[in-house]
Amino acid sequence: MSTEIVTAGAAHEPTRRELWKFIKNELRPKGRLLTPFNIISGITILVAIVLLTIRFATGLGSVTNLSQEFPWGLWIGFDVLTGVAFAGGGYVLAFMVYVMRMEKYHPILRVTVLNAFLAYVFYAGALLLDLGRPWHVVNPIIGNSFGLSSVLFLVAWHFMLYMLAALLEFAPAAAEWLGLRRLRKILAAMTLGAVVFGVTLSTLHQSGLGALFMMGKDKIHPLWYSEYIPVLFLVSSVFAGLSMVIFEGSISERVFSQRTSESVRKSRGSILVGLARICAATMFLYLFLKILDVTHARNWGYLFSGMGFWWLMEIVFFVAVPMVFFTMSIRRANLGLIRIAAIMALIGIILNRLNLSFFAYRLDAGVPYLPSWMEVEVTLAVIFAEIWVFRWVINRMPVLSDPPAWAKEQDAAAVARA
Amino acid sequence: MDDFHFVDIYASKGIEYLLVIGFLIVLVFAWRYLNRPPQSERG
Repeated sequence: MSTEIVTAGAAHEPTRRELWKFIKNELRPKGRLLTPFNIISGITILVAIVLLTIRFATGLGSVTNLSQEFPWGLWIGFDVLTGVAFAGGGYVLAFMVYVMRMEKYHPILRVTVLNAFLAYVFYAGALLLDLGRPWHVVNPIIGNSFGLSSVLFLVAWHFMLYMLAALLEFAPAAAEWLGLRRLRKILAAMTLGAVVFGVTLSTLHQSGLGALFMMGKDKIHPLWYSEYIPVLFLVSSVFAGLSMVIFEGSISERVFSQRTSESVRKSRGSILVGLARICAATMFLYLFLKILDVTHARNWGYLFSGMGFWWLMEIVFFVAVPMVFFTMSIRRANLGLIRIAAIMALIGIILNRLNLSFFAYRLDAGVPYLPSWMEVEVTLAVIFAEIWVFRWVINRMPVLSDPPAWAKEQDAAAVARA
Repeated sequence: MDDFHFVDIYASKGIEYLLVIGFLIVLVFAWRYLNRPPQSERG
């Protein structure tokens, strides 16, 4: 297996024929096909295709346990709500690097933006699976029925625009891969604009996703319902996204070690400590907002009940404890503890979003919602499909590796001009 | 006048003010702690 990133037109702008030949060559699989991961994920994806065919042919009820009482299940609670929170690292890191000029984090920016872009494509794309009439998804865009009074109008537009912004942010890497110098120059010049646009969109739709739950005041348990859900969603997306960056980085470090440049490898420790610091600070703010919210709504009485203990578990074990772990790990630059804290924080976010979607939703319904095996299977297939595309891109484009020399020269010239 | 509850820490939102003040005080120490360089860098 080749360990070098091959780009088209190493010495010159490739001709159309050279480009086509290069792309055809790159489409071929690299490395062994029949690995345990490929076999398990391949079967999972194939089964999901069958299940989704049934779902689109006969309706949601044939594969899901959704009902009139529980319209939002695992596909919304995990794929969309949790997936978008996990993608928050993209906008946070882009803001830190391009706006705050925190160059230390530059080596991991591309992989984070790629992760965010793919998360939106796959997890927000999974929204289509859950829509009763998925072809209506274009209505807020084309104006058949804008739905201006709905939060979903904002979410629909923002998802679409953010995907474009993230694609623009990542596009220079694709242009470098294809050796398209002129296109890369144009795309690189557009990056800052795309970042500012993307950050603005993200702050609004991360909170907008929380705002969707404000209509469910009478249906959500008081410990989870809050008029400040949008703020809580926004703040939690910061540490959720950065915890995902830490978690994903730890896996990439092992799986793509041959693809990783020296600069990424050397700066990894210092980057992780920096990210842990931001996670600790935002989790501290989130914890405070949660306590303030319960106090403001005078919900302390609910804590001494089954759901109260469940809420306490979410807050103590998956917010307060990882916050302490992040804080402790900074002093000793304990990377192992940072990774443990990141995993705990991610579990906390999953719990929080699932609690809002169904565990703490319509407790009066009698029969609780639990996802069917088919919903779980499709969710796993979405995750595997994203990993396949992520791996394909990492193995080909300069994401973890250094960009080609001509791209560095372009950047240096742009800086000199500025 | 009976509707006013100046002595009720909940009705006057006093508890919320106290929480915010407490948060800001803790934030000063937390900020200083978080911004200390790791031990390895301090030698």
